[in-house]
Amino acid sequence: MGKSQHCRIALGAGAALAVLALAAFPAAAQEAVKIGEIEAQTGALNTYGWMSSQGMRMAVEEINKAGGFEVAGKKYTLELTAPDTQGNPQQALIELKKMLEEEHVRYVFGPFLTNVYKGIEPYADGFDGKFLMIGGATAIHFDLGKPQHGYLLRSWNWDAGDAGFGSLMVANLKERGAKKVAMLMQNDAFGHVARDIYAPLFAKEGIEFHEEWFEPGTTDFSSVLAKIAAWKPDYLFPGYTDAVLYDIVRQATEVGLTRFWLVRGSLGPGLKNKDAVDDYIIYIPKYFEEAEASEAKVKKFVADYKAFYKKDFPYDQAPLCSSSCYDHVFMLVEAMKKAGSVDDVAKVRAALLGFTYEGLWKIRYDSTGEEVFNFDVVDIKKGGTIAVTHFAPK
Amino acid sequence: MLQLVVGQLLNGVIIGTLYGIIALGVTLTFGITGIVNFALGAFMAIGAYVGWYLTDGLGIAYPAAIPLAVCATALMGLLADQTLFRFTRNNLINGLIVSIGLISVIESVLLMLWTTTPKNMHYVLPGVIDFGWFIVPRMKGVVFLVLLAVILATYAALTRTWTGRAAYAYAQAPEAALLMGVRTRLLETGVVVYSTALAGLGGALYASLYSLEVSLGSSYILKGVEAAILAGIGSVMGSLMGGILLGVTEAVGSIFFPQAYRDAYGLVFLVLVLLFRPAGLFGARR
Amino acid sequence: MKPAMKVVLAWLPLFLVPLVLHNEVVLTILVFTFILGILAVSFNLIFGYTGQLSMFHAAAFGIAAYATHLSMAHLGVSFWIGMALAVLVVSALSLVVGTICFRFKLKEFYFAIVTLAFSEMARLVILNWGSFTNGSLGINLNSKPTLWLPGGSIPVEGTRMWYYLSLTALIATVAVVTRVVHSWMGRAFAAIRINDELADTLGIDVFRYKLVSFAIGNAGAAVAGALYAFYLSYIEPGYLSIEQSLAIVAMALLGGRDWVVGPIVGALILTALPHVIELSAEARILVYGLILIVTILALPRGIAGVFARRRRVL
Repeated sequence: MGKSQHCRIALGAGAALAVLALAAFPAAAQEAVKIGEIEAQTGALNTYGWMSSQGMRMAVEEINKAGGFEVAGKKYTLELTAPDTQGNPQQALIELKKMLEEEHVRYVFGPFLTNVYKGIEPYADGFDGKFLMIGGATAIHFDLGKPQHGYLLRSWNWDAGDAGFGSLMVANLKERGAKKVAMLMQNDAFGHVARDIYAPLFAKEGIEFHEEWFEPGTTDFSSVLAKIAAWKPDYLFPGYTDAVLYDIVRQATEVGLTRFWLVRGSLGPGLKNKDAVDDYIIYIPKYFEEAEASEAKVKKFVADYKAFYKKDFPYDQAPLCSSSCYDHVFMLVEAMKKAGSVDDVAKVRAALLGFTYEGLWKIRYDSTGEEVFNFDVVDIKKGGTIAVTHFAPK
Repeated sequence: MLQLVVGQLLNGVIIGTLYGIIALGVTLTFGITGIVNFALGAFMAIGAYVGWYLTDGLGIAYPAAIPLAVCATALMGLLADQTLFRFTRNNLINGLIVSIGLISVIESVLLMLWTTTPKNMHYVLPGVIDFGWFIVPRMKGVVFLVLLAVILATYAALTRTWTGRAAYAYAQAPEAALLMGVRTRLLETGVVVYSTALAGLGGALYASLYSLEVSLGSSYILKGVEAAILAGIGSVMGSLMGGILLGVTEAVGSIFFPQAYRDAYGLVFLVLVLLFRPAGLFGARR
Repeated sequence: MKPAMKVVLAWLPLFLVPLVLHNEVVLTILVFTFILGILAVSFNLIFGYTGQLSMFHAAAFGIAAYATHLSMAHLGVSFWIGMALAVLVVSALSLVVGTICFRFKLKEFYFAIVTLAFSEMARLVILNWGSFTNGSLGINLNSKPTLWLPGGSIPVEGTRMWYYLSLTALIATVAVVTRVVHSWMGRAFAAIRINDELADTLGIDVFRYKLVSFAIGNAGAAVAGALYAFYLSYIEPGYLSIEQSLAIVAMALLGGRDWVVGPIVGALILTALPHVIELSAEARILVYGLILIVTILALPRGIAGVFARRRRVL
């Protein structure tokens, strides 16, 4: 190569470097508040994580597009880091360490999975006071208020207790005259917690309770359902993810079990089998199809989703956005404003517990740090008529 | 109780044919190419997703979508054979590991195409046939008959056609078959493609009965292998019998033992057979 | 330079890493790498050296994790005694499983299937024996191993201490396996790997050596299980899953099954990969599958094979 060629290359490289240098340091950089999300976005148990990640991205985009937010006279944007844990505790632990130690994230949303939570909890305890973790995992409920767990907040209604939807629904079942309920549940962490919550509730109401377990991944329930049918229960209390509910409801109706009572899942399985079911009673955080027509904020959310992701709105999954999802980002921003700080975690937490946020849902935290929000109980009757009851706990 | 048992006996037979078709694929592949193709479960998933997509996504009538799904799966099988299995003939360990790697590849592609949300085909043939004592869902009955027909047709083809008998000859004495004019390369590829087609058929029919997840094939391949070994690898009718035996044991067992142990029966059979009667219950007609 | 000095110099830099690098994330990844390295190296004794594809390794890993915790909880012993008991339990189990498999002269492929079946059975037992193992909910471990030093005992806490503990355990494992491989036992293993029927006619007690290899390998897995459980502080039936067994196979294949330390490379890559390359979850599954395929078809000696010049002797 000749000398002039060398010069040209050097000039070109220098120019490129200069451009890069300028691009890396934008004129007036806005400071970003980093928030993290630690959910299983893929894998067998990703239902909750998937919807949460969809909603969180939308919220962050929306806030940043509107120019960010202002706290104590300074303007901020949000920066979201959302790795996929795939439901694996080892992976989640390393991701959390990255978030807390390298990126100095102070607000982590998730996890929803109990096994992931239990894998990261010992480590997270060591950071108590330095960050907040707002997750939906059932196991979080039992750690709220314990020493070294001040960082925890739970973003899902608790089934039992005064504000709990579970006790309400069991009482309602008793009113309908139910005497025998059979449960067919996934043999995993949440399944067992569900049994531990509901078995006593049923016993209290004097309803006979029978339990059957299956391996996650099962799709043919014909034999166990035939066995359950022989016991002649009044209602079937089936597993907690749509993946199994479609199969269970279809196969149950085939053996003559037509009354269903659910505390998780979506309307989809009931609607698909509407001509075969007699009753499909389900707790869902929000009946979106109706809310879209009657609530302005919901209508806007649905339209925004379609525009943002350029695909159909997942009515089935949307109710899961009640946990560590869209509303919670806005609520956090509000709390930071009220607290007058983006990094004083104790102040922000106190602020979060001090007000009610009205977004898609009306959310507040009780004194232990667990959420209370309004929900619906939907009853699909034979033929597809839908009766919705709205509950707004105090 | 008797009602329950009889009903589950028949239910088990029906479920068993789905295990049987995979077992048939396993047994044919092993007999001719000397490896166990663990990816047959993933090929079943391909057949299921393509069948679902053609029917619900593109609106093609289900009876037409099935052969199309089978062809699509067979094509993927051909691709897999030419790029991968061609290099692992008769090497059981390599074939095992490569086919397990293939499972991840297939599942990830299905995920990229269709995401993790569970898929549910519209009900093609809803309703049940009520025999008084027990019920058989109509679509399940159809699936049973189709699979049974295919397995019997395969058996007939293997014993009555030239190609079929050539395959048997090859399985017993490869060099002799080669000398007698059997196109062995073609035969090997043909069998791999045919077994993936069988898996694809199983998957396409599966889609009419159950909701779909990309890992739907994993329990079926394990049970297919169990059924094939139970009956004796190499026996065509044996794979059907093995599948049915496994299906019946699971169905009837679930009445008396917790459903949670459903997958254990196959495992126990597997161990017992391999230890005490490695040739399988129906002997090996290699 | 004496070979012993070479070995010490090779491992020395690793001891210095935490003093220089204060990055918690990297150190955590390394701790997991070392522990999984113990798992993969011990597996390779059975697979790479003796030629038997065992799908029971994850079961040994998981059973030891539970056994360590349960003996500490119910018998009140220390972590080290608990781990020793776990190793005993796993060794006894592997003698049983191994005897069954090898007495019936199961060939490699059928051996893989039967060990898989036993592993799944163990997993189902742990999953369903809720009163003893807490089933699918898993158990959070609150106790920690303690080290006795002049001046009192201290708990092993924090990534730095775990780093040194796991590194020491890894080196010990590598030393033991190397000793075995270079002994008469190792030569018997190699003969079995190359052709077990021929080895039999040469007078090698194939049954005994396969069993010994299987037992030693699983004992290594038990050590790894105890360490992993107490580092993560959480045990669940997933430890015994098929996915875990396959990950171990992948580590050995990817790293290189011809060398004692080869699988450690595989453990490093598979542990660090998800955190180094931001792949979508689907792409990660794809890469994992391709690793298995490519190493078998194109890279039979693994990554270590790309760099090593000598063909292995044994």
